Amino acid sequence: MKTELEITAYQCKACGRVHYPYHDRCLTCKNREFEVIKPEGDAHLLAYTQIFNLPWGFDVRFLVHGVVEFSNGVKAMGQIHVESLEDIKTGMTLQPGWEPIRIVSGEAIYGLVLKP
Amino acid sequence: MTLDMELESVLRAPALEMAEYPAKVITLANSKKMVVRQAKRTEVPILLDAVRPTMKIERDFYDIVGARLYAELLGWYRYRVRNEYCLVGQIDGYVVGIVNGRMVDEDIGISYHTIAIDRGLKVGAHLFAAKMEHHIEYLGQDEVWITAESPIGFRRWMIEYNLIKQTGVQHELGGATSYKLTRQLYFNSKSRLVAGERPVPEILLNFAHENLLVADEETIQEKICGTIGGQR
Amino acid sequence: MRDVAIIGVGMIPFGRRDEDTLLDMLAYASLNALDDAGMGDKGVDAVYVANMGAGILQHQTSVASALVDRLSLLPAAADAVENGPASGASAIKNGLLAVASGYYDTVLVAGGEKMREVVGWKATDFVATMTHPEVEYPYGITLPGMAGMFTRLYMEKYGLTRDQLIAVAIKNQKMGTLNPYAHVKMIITREGIVESPDAAVNNPVAADPLHFYDMCPVSDGAAAVILCPLEKAQEFTQNVPVVIAGFGQATDTHTLQERDDPTNLKAVTLASEQAFNMAGLKPKDVDVAELHDAFTILEIAESEHAGFFKKGEGGIAAENGETSLKGKIPINVSGGLKSRGHPVGATGVAQVVEIVFQLRHQLDEARQVKDAQVGFTLNFGGFGNNVVAFVLRRSE
Repeated sequence: MKTELEITAYQCKACGRVHYPYHDRCLTCKNREFEVIKPEGDAHLLAYTQIFNLPWGFDVRFLVHGVVEFSNGVKAMGQIHVESLEDIKTGMTLQPGWEPIRIVSGEAIYGLVLKP
Repeated sequence: MTLDMELESVLRAPALEMAEYPAKVITLANSKKMVVRQAKRTEVPILLDAVRPTMKIERDFYDIVGARLYAELLGWYRYRVRNEYCLVGQIDGYVVGIVNGRMVDEDIGISYHTIAIDRGLKVGAHLFAAKMEHHIEYLGQDEVWITAESPIGFRRWMIEYNLIKQTGVQHELGGATSYKLTRQLYFNSKSRLVAGERPVPEILLNFAHENLLVADEETIQEKICGTIGGQR
Repeated sequence: MRDVAIIGVGMIPFGRRDEDTLLDMLAYASLNALDDAGMGDKGVDAVYVANMGAGILQHQTSVASALVDRLSLLPAAADAVENGPASGASAIKNGLLAVASGYYDTVLVAGGEKMREVVGWKATDFVATMTHPEVEYPYGITLPGMAGMFTRLYMEKYGLTRDQLIAVAIKNQKMGTLNPYAHVKMIITREGIVESPDAAVNNPVAADPLHFYDMCPVSDGAAAVILCPLEKAQEFTQNVPVVIAGFGQATDTHTLQERDDPTNLKAVTLASEQAFNMAGLKPKDVDVAELHDAFTILEIAESEHAGFFKKGEGGIAAENGETSLKGKIPINVSGGLKSRGHPVGATGVAQVVEIVFQLRHQLDEARQVKDAQVGFTLNFGGFGNNVVAFVLRRSE
């Protein structure tokens, strides 16, 4: 498991709006200069779901996805590794990690993984 | 057909004693009631009428499933397949799905085929689950070996039931990798996948027994294929 | 700008059309529309073809050029239009602007998709290519997954209930049984999908809290319309012309996470307001609407954001029958995407075709909104990040 989250977010130098993913111009003020930031602090769960009809490339029965907001305003989607939705609820804090999220041509692709 | 019972006694291997599947009724999404019951050997000629039209349908591998199921049912009817059973799903008497399998021995079952004639109501899924229920709960077996001929089958069974892949174990049907359902996996999935109520109300059950109906070929093909195109 | 009329419409039954190629379906729908417009032996000035997936699913590109050749419409101008599930309405918008500007007099707009060419989870993957390629797609998120997250948030914010979603599913499936073009013609009941002990197996969770019957099917299909200036409509056909009185289009952030309030379908509201303003009409003037119910939640949410109901009241209205054929605002009386099906490139065109049927008063009583004069369509691209709306009006 990799410990550093390979998420690069962008904070507008003019108005402070945090962006992830990248935008060439700030969504609020159209400024083009950003400070590169990393997610910091706790990850709070904003939204989640459990899906059962998975796309090609996944051979598990279900995936749980969530969108979290870190304390410094970075929002990101990740896979939540739980066995049941009963273990999670909106607003809770999850532990972020950078782990394999899928396998493509035999190679593990890493991404944001969240755990209670 | 006249049988030489002396020859038959050579050709028919001794059969295991098989518990009967207790019929159940499933309420489908459109509120229709599907009776799931064990078919009698004597009913095979009628079941073959239901299967025959499917052998002409390439879509979703119906042709190979239909052809193989036809052979298996005929083999059972003529006492040339040991320890086979067949479950049938009926709505208002009409055959809407057929599943079959057999006991290899007391502990291991082999799932043969699953065919749904009325689509869109999860008939196939319900009947496959009934088949697993039969092997584990009524035949008392420890595991069932399963393979799939279509992508739908593969997705529905191997992933839904979290089946165990068996490397180096050839399923009787040949072909692709063999998977197995164990007692534990079955009971882990049962509440999610196995439907139905028992006992079946007498009037429904009697009707199903007395009226094993098969739609005409055109209706069967239309039920399976729906709109196939080819015209404005 | 000239008033633009729809003088011909064509559609083919949606479903799993194994015998047809994508071009076959587009051609059939186009010929039906040309014939309906009295132009079966004529050319057009321009062709717009709506399609999202031919490059991925059929390994085919330049479908507009291919269709023009197939239909002997050379040397018409031809463009393919891709806007995800809103490709159809975007293509009509392009055709509308071309005619309204005075540059073209006759335009064919056809939309089609052949999604059943691949197995279900490849079709799911294809649709998921709409999500953000770096921060969403790799995680295996699907459009139903987006809808699931949205539904939970909507439930938490507005008290939307599962029963309200079920009311939409049952209504649309029932109406689909009356629509000859519908992919799914099957009644579902509360007993079958909610109340009976077998309901959990019949109607399993698909993208929590959405269930199997909250979803539209994966379909093949095509639809087409013929546009011309209203003043020239009578030169071609005696069909009652249906005028595109207003249109609107708006966009929102690509990812749900970057929206200030992910339950606020801003693009739906903006696109709808533009369309109504252009038409000089309001939501209360609409007699019949086709909304984009790829998931039952979207019919409810769109009915609110388009202005038919206040926020939080669309679900109650659906449950009370206000969106049924004889209700206050009939919505998706065609069966919607839920029953008619959702071949993504075709959907926006099919919605307009259904409204034209309504405004021409050519449907039988079981499906016809009595004396419909004004119709509305909403085509929802991505997960609400690109939305196109039309207001249509019977011209006589």
